[in-house]
Amino acid sequence: MSGILVVIEQRPGKPANAQIARISWEALAAAERLGPPASVTAVVLGANTESAASEVAARAQGEVIRVEHPLLAPYAAEAFIASLHQLIQSEAPTYVVLPHTYQVRDYAPAIAARFGQVLIGDVTAITSAENQPPIFTRQLMQGRLNGNYRPTGSGPCFVSVQAGAFPAVTAPDATQAAISTFTPAIDAAQIRTRPGAPFRAAAQAVDLSAAQIIVSVGRGIRAEENIPIVQELATALGAELAASRPICDSGWLPLDRQVGSSGQTVAPKLYIAAGISGAIQHLVGMKASQCIVAINRDPSAPIFEVADYGIVGDLMEVVPALTEAVKAAKQ
Amino acid sequence: MIAILPTLAEPQQFSLPEKLLFAALVLASAWAFWLRFSIVLHKILQSKKDSNFHLFPIAKRIRDFVSEVLFQSKVIRQRPAAGLAHAFVFWAFLAFALVTLNHCARVFGLGFLSPAAPIGRFYFYFAAVFAAACAIGILALFIRRFFLRPKWLGQKLSWESGFIALLIFALMATYLAAFFVPSTGPQIRILWWLHTLSLLIFLPIIPHTKHLHLLLSPFTVFLSRGSFSQIPPLAGDEDFGLITGQDLTQLVSLQAYSCVECGRCTEHCPAANTGKLLNPKEIILGVRAYLNDLGPQSDQPLLGKYNSQQAVFQCTTCGACEFQCPVGIEHLPILIGLRRGAVNTGAWEDDHGSKLFLNLERGSNALGISPIERDKFIERQQLPLFDGTQEYCLWLGCMGGYDPKGREIIADFARIMRFLGTSYGVLRKEKCTGDPVRRLGNDLLFQQLSESNLEALAQNKVKKIITICPHCVRTIQEDWKEYGTPPEIEHHSEFLARFAHKLPSKISPGAPGPSLLGTRDEPALSSQSPNSGPGEKKIVFHDPCYLGRYRNVYEEPRAVAALAGSLVEAPRNHDRSFCCGAGGGLAFLGEETGERVSHVRTAELVATGAQTIATACPFCNSMFRDALSSTSEPAPQLLDIAQLAARSLPKQ
Amino acid sequence: MKIIVAIKQVPDRDAPVHIDAAGKWIEEADLEYTLNEPDAYALEEALQLRDLHGGEVIVLSAGPDRVATTIREALAKGADRGLHILADDLASRDAFGVASLLAAVIKQENPDLILTGLQSEDLGLGQTGVIVAELLGLPHATLILHVEKTDTGIEVKRELEEGWFQTIQLPTPAVLTIQSGGSKLRYATLMGIKRAKMKEVKQLAAADLAPAAAPTVVLEQLSLPTKKISTQMLTGTPKEVAATLVEKLRTEAHVL
Repeated sequence: MSGILVVIEQRPGKPANAQIARISWEALAAAERLGPPASVTAVVLGANTESAASEVAARAQGEVIRVEHPLLAPYAAEAFIASLHQLIQSEAPTYVVLPHTYQVRDYAPAIAARFGQVLIGDVTAITSAENQPPIFTRQLMQGRLNGNYRPTGSGPCFVSVQAGAFPAVTAPDATQAAISTFTPAIDAAQIRTRPGAPFRAAAQAVDLSAAQIIVSVGRGIRAEENIPIVQELATALGAELAASRPICDSGWLPLDRQVGSSGQTVAPKLYIAAGISGAIQHLVGMKASQCIVAINRDPSAPIFEVADYGIVGDLMEVVPALTEAVKAAKQ
Repeated sequence: MIAILPTLAEPQQFSLPEKLLFAALVLASAWAFWLRFSIVLHKILQSKKDSNFHLFPIAKRIRDFVSEVLFQSKVIRQRPAAGLAHAFVFWAFLAFALVTLNHCARVFGLGFLSPAAPIGRFYFYFAAVFAAACAIGILALFIRRFFLRPKWLGQKLSWESGFIALLIFALMATYLAAFFVPSTGPQIRILWWLHTLSLLIFLPIIPHTKHLHLLLSPFTVFLSRGSFSQIPPLAGDEDFGLITGQDLTQLVSLQAYSCVECGRCTEHCPAANTGKLLNPKEIILGVRAYLNDLGPQSDQPLLGKYNSQQAVFQCTTCGACEFQCPVGIEHLPILIGLRRGAVNTGAWEDDHGSKLFLNLERGSNALGISPIERDKFIERQQLPLFDGTQEYCLWLGCMGGYDPKGREIIADFARIMRFLGTSYGVLRKEKCTGDPVRRLGNDLLFQQLSESNLEALAQNKVKKIITICPHCVRTIQEDWKEYGTPPEIEHHSEFLARFAHKLPSKISPGAPGPSLLGTRDEPALSSQSPNSGPGEKKIVFHDPCYLGRYRNVYEEPRAVAALAGSLVEAPRNHDRSFCCGAGGGLAFLGEETGERVSHVRTAELVATGAQTIATACPFCNSMFRDALSSTSEPAPQLLDIAQLAARSLPKQ
Repeated sequence: MKIIVAIKQVPDRDAPVHIDAAGKWIEEADLEYTLNEPDAYALEEALQLRDLHGGEVIVLSAGPDRVATTIREALAKGADRGLHILADDLASRDAFGVASLLAAVIKQENPDLILTGLQSEDLGLGQTGVIVAELLGLPHATLILHVEKTDTGIEVKRELEEGWFQTIQLPTPAVLTIQSGGSKLRYATLMGIKRAKMKEVKQLAAADLAPAAAPTVVLEQLSLPTKKISTQMLTGTPKEVAATLVEKLRTEAHVL
């Protein structure tokens, strides 16, 4: 038993040369901490993996295996579990490294269980010493603790890595890794789940609670005519526009965009509070946001207490600059 | 002197048909009275017993009875003109008891007061004075009801009230007229019969109308629960509050039948005044209608046809209704009882309410913020931890521990305590006192929170608590008693007033400070900014419901506020103060329908022209801050009395 | 529908975290325990299904005596009965070991649906549900926001990344792991608590269900994260701070 398998995840619907999710490159990098790059085999699963496999081959240093079967698209857990189970049995790797995505969380624990193993999930660091099995670090208690885990099993060791924890591998010079194909033996009867096509939440009433990014505006905007300034930032970010109560009270934005104790409670990935001082009524509505950016002229405004990033300044100047910076970064 | 006054005439003889007719009429009248009154009495007595009712200590009951019933103190105090008119009618009724008895006894020759004898003569004059006052009083009340028509008496004219007024007037007029007719002849006989008929028609009308209060309200006042807004403990494993008729207790039923529909409760209700569904008078009448239609044995829900759940959850528990009810109705135990019934069974579904409950089920504070934030605040402010050696445990409360503005109040109050050399410490861990869930009727959470806090206080050997929040004061001191013995507790206004003489008094005159509102990105009123305090600044103090009506503390916070300027009063002040809108858990329940209570009160405070609004409750403060921030005009400063007092401290 | 909800008692998320002397777990003395939040959503989903289609909701939890309070809490919210796997040695079992215990009990009960939270708030492994499905040979779906009964089984709404969703049809019995926020949680009531006292909670000994096997993954050492998050104040011209912020949001916070 030797070698490392890395399961590459694709993003359907992307252009042919950018089908691979960024986190997959990071998983590849993490795998290279566990053994020489040449021993790392990248695995691409799907019904039609040719272009994805060649995209991977451009960056991988070891081999690339296409696990190809019509039943592997669209994703169904049972097909993935059966296919990877067969592949791992045949390859007998020491480690199987996966990106910690929603999809991996859906099937990887079951594959590990099928081998009598337990996935070490959401790993943020790998520490290896000479002649010692590596130590995998992952977060516990909602990120308030780090835990070091050591695999003690005899089978393959399954590891999934957190997004952003490892720097992605970059393309090596011109060397194209060898690509082989593995055809798993699965049949339709094995797959009991019927997945439907992905859809986005119907855009009816404003549901701020589902928004990933929110740009929220407060009294610092000073006049209704200035609302477009923040609207432009929201548009550039693909964000929902929201507001504190005085803005909605004044009728500058509709009431259903109000965040706070009398409005909606939100928890987006990114919350930009522009010209909001941070009254408790507002804070309780947005404090659970993953990342909070506060822009306010008053350096003692309470909003800075909950913010991850703070900018003391006039939103009329900072917000347009930010809009430009976001647009520039997206190009 | 007496000789020149006319003498009351009385018919000398009654014929047998007259005697029989009189007897028959009396029986008919009594029968008609009893027909209805027995039903009412039955419904009251059939209601569930009040398990926690104690007649003793009785002294307070007697005191209240004398003051509220005999001297009509509440009736007069709240509406002096109409109240006095009513008092004269009432006193005339009392004076008339003997007269009427004598009047009837006379038919059978059993009269015991003789207009000729000195005692009788005196008494009839005595009664006549009251009769005259009563006649004028009832006339005035009639004119008020039918011509001036104050809005709280309702849109619909009450013809029965008019008829009753007529009867009372007739009773008095026929009595007074009897002084001016000869005691022989048909005139006195006609007067006598008119008087009798008025009386016998009046009697059966009483139990059929709101005039039932004549008979019931003396009992209602005497048999009160004992103190203002007293929430009775649930009795046994199957009591979840007021759900069906079977949960209505005798006191609730008695009170429902006592309502005189004067509308004082509605007149003062912040919900009713801002376009909400809630109308406290209609709540009581809803319970009465339920009792009339279904009775106290019914298993039909109380909320639904007779009262609306929505209305019940619009109450801020400000207590204005109960505080001034002249017939002793205790609205809060009823309103909160109905909430208990809905919440303890899960029937109440409200997104904001559920969020509040879940916050307190899982976390420690009503705001749902991590207690780590409180730890950070304590560290930043270098507040000492309570270790059992300090005199006071400074209770931060949810607002003091988490609200940016509440924290400023705590910081300033702590500065004052340090200045005075008072030792204090804060608890390492503190949970919400349970005030919002108590008022919303969540007994499960309230029990958990009070027990857990009581245990923590006992472990820390806390003897005295001081806090900036009147809601915490009330809940700890009164409501926790259901689950243990809370330590002594004091509101910071009481503490500050006691030490006011030691605080640097008066502020150096100077230029008016910049208004903090509307000059910033958001109206962040921070304590660092009010650096100047001109001597003759006008300050208006807002009485928090939970400090004033609930705790009878009115002058202490004023004494503290007066350190910083001259006081002016809002039109509604002291025990008539108008709620800020936050109480009863409503601070956490999302947007109001109609006008916002906080906006109405804020406008009233701003209209006084004061440069500073002084508060003594972090919830009021937060509500006003919100209301002020939605106006773009330069608004007054908004400061807690602790912040006002701290401004004159030497800089540290 | 007979539904089993596997729930976990976890330290309150606001509880102070102190690593114990051995450095292997946190000090338990000062902890307050509560129902794992995603499990609360799983329970809510189960209760709604039962209220709609009838049947029974059984809560299942493994752990020491203290777990009984969390089972009672679930019964108070409306579950019909409880199953308590008494185990003091859960820490020495890995996710596979715990899932084996749960699977052994679920097998005996033979339910139509097994729900559990997506992950726990303490260990955050997010695997137990999937392993249970594997052990029982049942189909599963994860990150489920909503469940509906159909003629042939169930239809679920699954959350995908970046604001996408997917509908999946499954035959029953099946295992679902429930994502937080899909429905509105109900609050506990006094009546619920009193009724819960009358409901049955069956205790089962862990040793009788599945022998404790040697774990394949061992938690060796706990440590506090090195850097504590605090507000970073960015300074410079508007243009400069805008550029810095965008960069930090991409590379540091990973939110762009």
